[in-house]
Amino acid sequence: MLKPILLVEDNPHDLELTLIALEKSQLANEVIIARDGAEALDYLRCEGDFAKRQVGNPAVILLDLKLPKVDGLEVLKVIRSTPSLKSVPVVMLTSSREEQDLLRSYELGVNAYVVKPVDFGEFVRAIADLGIFWAVLNEPPPGSYRYIKPH
Amino acid sequence: MTVVTTTSHDLDLSSCDKEPIHTPGSIQPHGFLLALSKELTVLQASDNLSSLTGVCVEDLLGQPLAHLLGAGLAERIKAALAQSEVGQRPIFLCTVELARGARFDVLAHHHDGLLMLEFEKAEQEGPADLRYLYRKVGDFLLKLNNASTVVEMARLAAQDICAVTGYGRVMVYSFDPEGHGHVLAECRSDDYHSYLGQRFPATDIPRQARELYLLNRIRLIQDASYTPARLVPPLNPVTGKATDLSFASLRSVSPVHLQYMRNMGTMASMSVSLIVKGKLWGLISCHHDTPSPVAFDKRTACEQLGQILAMCIGSREDADELQFRLEVRRVMVSMLGGLTHGADFIDNMSSVLPSLLQFARAGGVAVLYDDRLLVHGDAPGEAQIEELVAWLGMNTHADVFHTDKLSRVFAPAAAYTKVASGLLAMPISRIHKHYLLWFRPETVHTIDWAGNPYDKAAANGTPPQLSPRTSFDSWRETIHGTSAPWHSGEIEMAVEFRSALLGLALERAEQMAELAEDLGRANKELEAFSYSVSHDLRAPLRHIVGFSDLLLEAAGNDSLEKRQRFLKNIKESARLAGKLVDDLLSFSQMGRAALRPTEIAMADMVRSCLDKLSIETRGRNIEWDIGPLPTLKADPSFLQLALYNLLSNAVKFTGQKELAVIRVSAQDNDHEWVISVADNGAGFNMDYVHKLFGVFQRLHRMEDFQGTGIGLANVRRIIERHGGRVWAQSQPGQGATFSFSIPKELND
Repeated sequence: MLKPILLVEDNPHDLELTLIALEKSQLANEVIIARDGAEALDYLRCEGDFAKRQVGNPAVILLDLKLPKVDGLEVLKVIRSTPSLKSVPVVMLTSSREEQDLLRSYELGVNAYVVKPVDFGEFVRAIADLGIFWAVLNEPPPGSYRYIKPH
Repeated sequence: MTVVTTTSHDLDLSSCDKEPIHTPGSIQPHGFLLALSKELTVLQASDNLSSLTGVCVEDLLGQPLAHLLGAGLAERIKAALAQSEVGQRPIFLCTVELARGARFDVLAHHHDGLLMLEFEKAEQEGPADLRYLYRKVGDFLLKLNNASTVVEMARLAAQDICAVTGYGRVMVYSFDPEGHGHVLAECRSDDYHSYLGQRFPATDIPRQARELYLLNRIRLIQDASYTPARLVPPLNPVTGKATDLSFASLRSVSPVHLQYMRNMGTMASMSVSLIVKGKLWGLISCHHDTPSPVAFDKRTACEQLGQILAMCIGSREDADELQFRLEVRRVMVSMLGGLTHGADFIDNMSSVLPSLLQFARAGGVAVLYDDRLLVHGDAPGEAQIEELVAWLGMNTHADVFHTDKLSRVFAPAAAYTKVASGLLAMPISRIHKHYLLWFRPETVHTIDWAGNPYDKAAANGTPPQLSPRTSFDSWRETIHGTSAPWHSGEIEMAVEFRSALLGLALERAEQMAELAEDLGRANKELEAFSYSVSHDLRAPLRHIVGFSDLLLEAAGNDSLEKRQRFLKNIKESARLAGKLVDDLLSFSQMGRAALRPTEIAMADMVRSCLDKLSIETRGRNIEWDIGPLPTLKADPSFLQLALYNLLSNAVKFTGQKELAVIRVSAQDNDHEWVISVADNGAGFNMDYVHKLFGVFQRLHRMEDFQGTGIGLANVRRIIERHGGRVWAQSQPGQGATFSFSIPKELND
């Protein structure tokens, strides 16, 4: 009974490091990867390449702030203004410590804002904590589908 | 002499203004008047006809002219009328001899539906000699050429007219703006009293008399004690109204005027109008103490002299005015030059204050700006100036306020009439209370009136409104509270100065706005910089640290292939961090460096970019389609950077194509050149086109197309600094076209 994590990240190095960190935290959740904001929205709205996916929302969205095409803030805005998506937990994951990004994220209703630590050990710990909290401890809102990992 | 001191009140003695002097219903009796129909039937005649000709008026009415003159003379007059073009002004027809041997000069004019024939008694033998006129006029013109001033010209005219008329006193006087007459020049016999320099109040000449002076340029009253000869019938038979004698030489004058003449001891008078640019500038007034005729030819000579004098005065005044305005303008131009030196308006103003005084021939000047008050010369106190400006703000709406009698309109100014009887004030901002004020000191002056102008009631028993004053004894008035009047040229120039000031102010405001805009842009860029440093540069560093840690941690446990990938990632991240720093540097330089535009052959520039790109294009199959390209003016190193960016983008985004087609073309858009780089590569979604040229924006995933996101921002910055625009068109998968324009006229 595991809940999927939607990871939205365009930078291949960040993607690799994040996946390694999640792996190190020994979370068994499936991680769905979207490479930009547009793709993330396609997944969430079951459109485009994801038109045929199983219906249901992820337990948490780890969203990079800076993305090509549609950026993280815009994705967040769409999520919060779409009735079927608005209660999905979103964690903004970013390199930016800019106050305006932080303020804007909270204004738009982000659940958490995490600055990616430069130190790799800290980075792994941060991602692991996030995964455990949001994907395991946190009780997701009704409508998040329960995914049973196929064996 | 009576001496009084007044603060000048209005001279309102206009009771004479209502008298209908152009329809007196009578004529002076030194001739007779016939009013004829077109068919030369007598319709109206003066009742002195019988005493001059022996023919009774009643017998003549309704009769042809021949009835009075006989067939022969009537035919002569008819012929003379046919030869001459008779208009509103009397013309000389002929001299005739009537019954009893009396000789008459015959004048004719058309007016009020009638042909007026005036028969003036001719004293001299033989017909009037018009040749007299030409010699006189020729001599006079020569003399006027040598005269240096208007007064000198007036004196010459007085002399000539004195000689022509034989009158005892000839005065030339001018009217001031209020209508008071001032005697400029005089020519008189020794036994005549002098009026030179004296003033005659405006009310001495009623309004309608001035109007007649404009219509009819010469008037003669041959005997001030005459008994008028009435017209029979009294009304004009054609119009049924009082006969209009505006142009009649014999027209009878107002009894008030005759009384006025007798008061002056003048029994004969003649006046010639001086009309300058359509306005009654003054009069030549001739007096004689006994009745004295002036024949038509002499009158005509005088009229011509008057016209020549008026023309010379007009051109002299024009020349003086022009000279004056040139001088004022010269001062203004030098002043404006001084005003543009520094940045601070008040500092600049202080430096030109002496010129400001000179500019308006003022005694003091004050500038009120942003609650700061600058004063130079003689001016009222600060509090007084503030009070004055407050009053101006409340009470004047014109661009310029001026007065030469400030205390008359603004009572508190009575406290400082000595320094500021005259004020010329201009607001120099429409919004703020900024004022420029010039002050002129009081010029206490005396006026020698010919008699007390305030005391017109005189003669015993006559109603006061019809009585001219009895005395022409000089009456001296001292005028207080006035300054020298402001010249219209000074006022106009002040307005011009104000608009120049506003222009300067606007220019400064624009400069400020431009600076603010530049500052705003610089701030935004600075923000983008700090953002990219904190965000974009942090990422590769984090990656380097992360993969190094993984590498160390693995300590040989991981596969070789994995370790090699980590190393490759580290190297790539380090390279990207370095490139980011370089790009940031070049972007920041772009904002500072000056443009050095030269003529650039675009075809050469494209070729040089392709050389530079050759390493990246090695092994690729690229078809270059370079169209005809112009020579244009731009900064070569900057433009090359922009062009290189676009070409290398095209190369980059066609990377996945078997055959890349890259087309470079130019278009002549009248005022600008448009250069386009089109490719058949990946393209982008037009939804994101607004982000394309922003700093640190990418539309593609990093591993698809390497780049720091600064390239297109650079292109835009370069083109905009040239005054051009950048734009892009694309369809995903179909390629993209990037275009920029360069204006043909660079305004850097």
